[in-house]
Amino acid sequence: MKTPNRTLLAATLLAALSFQAGAQPVIEITKQTTHLIPVSITGFTGEVESVLRFDLSVLGIEASDPAEYIISGKNDGQVEGSLTQAGVARPIFLRAYVGGSARSQAHAFANDIARELRQTSPIFQTKIAFRLSRGGSTEVGMSDYDGYNLVVLTHDNALVEAPSWFPGGRALLYTSWMTRNSVQIFEHSLATGARRLFAGYPGLNCSAEVSPDGRKAALILSKGGSPNLYVCDSDGGHLKQLTHTRDEDSSPCWSADSREICFVCRSGRAVLQKISADGGSPVPLHVSGVYGNQTAPDWSPDGGKIAFTAGSGNFSICVVPAGGGEAERLVAGEDPCWAPNSRTLIFTQRRSGKKVLCLLDVPTKHVKDVRQISGSCSEPSWAR
Amino acid sequence: MKNLNVFGIFILGAALLAAGCHRKPASLTPIPGMEAPPQPQTQTGGIGSGAAVNPEMPVTTERTPEGIGLNANGKYNELINGPHDEDRDKFKADTVYFEFDKSAIKPSEEGKLQDVANYFKNNTSDALRVEGNCDERGTEKYNLALGERRALSVREYLANLGVDPQRIGTISYGFSKPVESGHNEAAWAKNRRGDLVLITPKK
Repeated sequence: MKTPNRTLLAATLLAALSFQAGAQPVIEITKQTTHLIPVSITGFTGEVESVLRFDLSVLGIEASDPAEYIISGKNDGQVEGSLTQAGVARPIFLRAYVGGSARSQAHAFANDIARELRQTSPIFQTKIAFRLSRGGSTEVGMSDYDGYNLVVLTHDNALVEAPSWFPGGRALLYTSWMTRNSVQIFEHSLATGARRLFAGYPGLNCSAEVSPDGRKAALILSKGGSPNLYVCDSDGGHLKQLTHTRDEDSSPCWSADSREICFVCRSGRAVLQKISADGGSPVPLHVSGVYGNQTAPDWSPDGGKIAFTAGSGNFSICVVPAGGGEAERLVAGEDPCWAPNSRTLIFTQRRSGKKVLCLLDVPTKHVKDVRQISGSCSEPSWAR
Repeated sequence: MKNLNVFGIFILGAALLAAGCHRKPASLTPIPGMEAPPQPQTQTGGIGSGAAVNPEMPVTTERTPEGIGLNANGKYNELINGPHDEDRDKFKADTVYFEFDKSAIKPSEEGKLQDVANYFKNNTSDALRVEGNCDERGTEKYNLALGERRALSVREYLANLGVDPQRIGTISYGFSKPVESGHNEAAWAKNRRGDLVLITPKK
């Protein structure tokens, strides 16, 4: 009920800015996207303060001088806070948060600040799933986007890989070795905890990804004699083979409109290809500026970019326009996955024998580690 | 800027009035509880409720451009789904090694597979599992598919030597089961492999 007022206010202020300053706002908006925004954060304590600092830092909004914006408030009982432009008396907004935990109140406040300063959709109350290796076993872990509130979803004491979300986060698909002699895909409902076999064909069944519209799933099966790309309905039915290559295909991901699939094809080296979800011939994605293998693609939810991993061993996270072109090498790491805001990536870095999850603000190349969880974390999938 | 401030203050005031916050200028944003999902029904080694096997299991040993099709009802599956023994040592010396990022059988490995093929010609009630593995220089989903392709290449090579491919099952472990933990070519070369496991009816 309060949101429309705030949106109206923001829109009106923006309109007023445009009216006042003529061509200047264009420069202003570009700056707002790509530079680190210095802010001051005052009045908060303990967990609320650290959540605020972490969340904002993930989007390149950092506590430093001279501050362009002042974030102030308090957290005795409930979080109350305001966002004010430096040198301006009246706050952009002033709000109090009720219900939930102190952490979730702080996340909600940070979401409101991010909406104003970065014009992106909120991500601080979203979930991630990942592969969690501890000792000899691997399980599916799920947590808040920052690594807090970990829930270990499986207890199979078997290998597991590639958790991925159904749109809206109602269920996960993952690849499991739980039956020992086969590698199958299971659907795991988060509401009930029940799971069912999603794909159990002879040979390898892996890397299932549900389309953003929730109607189809792309997956890799080897029943035809080589690991190839298939598509099926999101209940597992109506299976259709899309590729027929002798060398293996891997790592499918979906376009925002659910009409195309980007995947990895090894022909000499691993390259990215695109194919219509209805079938037809795969088309190479033209990627310049990087050498070596191109693997683990993820298509941004806004449809504009594809993040992927370049290299073999010395991996780097790269982003290329979805239509192809010059790839930008961003940071060392592998296996990127987009946040719902199409701005933040979560990915894996290898550090002294284990894998850790990191967050990357793509425009500013600012990297933050997700909270350290004991064990090795990899293959992150962001609920969106 | 002056006009903007006046305008902004006016709008802000109107919004705050609309929000009903006269004395305390803070609107309330209720946080929906972020519930932890219920724990899954833990069934170690089991599938859980609602399990259903895909009905459309192809029964084929077709040769296609991509390889030789896998069969749910072949000798391998018959053995593996019944009482059986597994021997990891029998073909230990015949472990098949691969080039980096490749799945083709190297000439140096051909003799090993000839020995394995000869064994199966003389032991017609046995089956084989080929376990495909990779080194650490690939991303996880990529390695999983590459490991399976390597296992399938071994299967295909044995089929070409006369072994019924439906006596051979494959499984990929990607990089999850290295035999060497080093980060150098010596370790990588040992990890890029196909392990051969003999499956026999329970004695």
